[in-house]
Amino acid sequence: MTLINYAGGRFELLPDESVLECLERAGHRIPSFCRAGVCQSCVLRAQSGDVPAVAQRGLKESWKQRGLFLSCVCQPDTELHLTPAEVTAEFETRVVHVDRASENVLRVLLQRPEGLRFEAGQYLQLIRPADGLMRPYSIASLPEDSTIELHVALLAGGQMSQWLVGALGSAVRVVGPFGDCVYVAGEQERPLLLAGTGTGLAPLLGVLRAALRAGHRGAISLYHGAVNRAGLYCWNALTGLQRESSNLRLVGSVLREDGVGSVPPEHPSIIVRPLEELVLDAITTEQRLYLCGHPEFVQRLRKKVFLAGLPLSRIHADAFVAPAARPA
Amino acid sequence: MSEQSLYEQLGGDPAVDAAVDIFYRKVLSDDEISHYFETTDMDAQRAKQKAFLTVAFGGPNRYSGKDMRAAHARLKLKESDFDRVMTHLGATLKELGVSDALIGKAASIAMSVKNDVLNR
Repeated sequence: MTLINYAGGRFELLPDESVLECLERAGHRIPSFCRAGVCQSCVLRAQSGDVPAVAQRGLKESWKQRGLFLSCVCQPDTELHLTPAEVTAEFETRVVHVDRASENVLRVLLQRPEGLRFEAGQYLQLIRPADGLMRPYSIASLPEDSTIELHVALLAGGQMSQWLVGALGSAVRVVGPFGDCVYVAGEQERPLLLAGTGTGLAPLLGVLRAALRAGHRGAISLYHGAVNRAGLYCWNALTGLQRESSNLRLVGSVLREDGVGSVPPEHPSIIVRPLEELVLDAITTEQRLYLCGHPEFVQRLRKKVFLAGLPLSRIHADAFVAPAARPA
Repeated sequence: MSEQSLYEQLGGDPAVDAAVDIFYRKVLSDDEISHYFETTDMDAQRAKQKAFLTVAFGGPNRYSGKDMRAAHARLKLKESDFDRVMTHLGATLKELGVSDALIGKAASIAMSVKNDVLNR
């Protein structure tokens, strides 16, 4: 007898019954459509227990490692503890550090709430308690760190970013985690290409830190794009990581050779050429690719590299859509 | 004679997975129809392409004619759009080394949903 745990209930799986059918029989409404392991409408997440391989066939590796599976074709032999695919929760926490990573980027550290489980590179919604104002920020730090590192683009008139400048010590709330920009374990030799514009560096730094912690052996190239040198931030942290890992290559892409930043002027890794061109030159079909930052950059480049032969399952894209541009 | 279904002869789910990126690239590169496939959520779009290929491969699915109509109604597809998709389906299978006989079978399954997809 196999038991299925879901939403506080415990249900017995009948012979020949799928997890989806079992939960429906118990009165739960799970979205579904094809009911044949194809359309991915009925994806659930296993927090513990062995999901048969057939129920994860065709899913992205990053989904598999989070325990996602197709409930309509899942007939487990052992007890499962299940949740909806996206488990997010809200936590109260506090801003414990604010500094300027560059003229236009704030580095904000939050106390990591007990109970918040995430992977480096995913994102949180940050909520200002006074009025509920909410903005998404990616996580640059590792899950086990005592603080959560966020990079905040300072926008003129930006409601959240300007408030965060003086928010040291303030109580905030976070909801999450969200997103698929995560390191994929179990393929340590695979070359990784990480490319981002502006604060798109934050999730890339998260993925990079997770890769290095996992002892990744394949070549890792990190490309950070900005208008000019002043927009390339966190360079000290990056070069520090590079000193410890011979497989890490750093490239800064700038459109104009002006502005004074944290990068030494004679630094050989800075190239005056658009990031998109550099990535298209560097891409191979063996790589796993992470694209983060400006939505046009992310979406246009994702399409181009897919057409150039990279499988969609190895492209992790996180487009930072600005509030004004968000569809209603 | 083998009693295998078309889906099994084509190689089942791994074959659909191999076909879907190739097929998706073809429709996305076709200026006549690419706008139907342009989206910010390419992973979700890929799942739809996979569902279509599973149907064409004679694989397991429970799509009804009504589902097909509902899913395609707002697109207002033309007959020529459908024909181009059929061409890309054939070219995809050809590229994967599938025999002409099996390509013909897959094409006739795909043709059987034509009226539903075109809402007529």
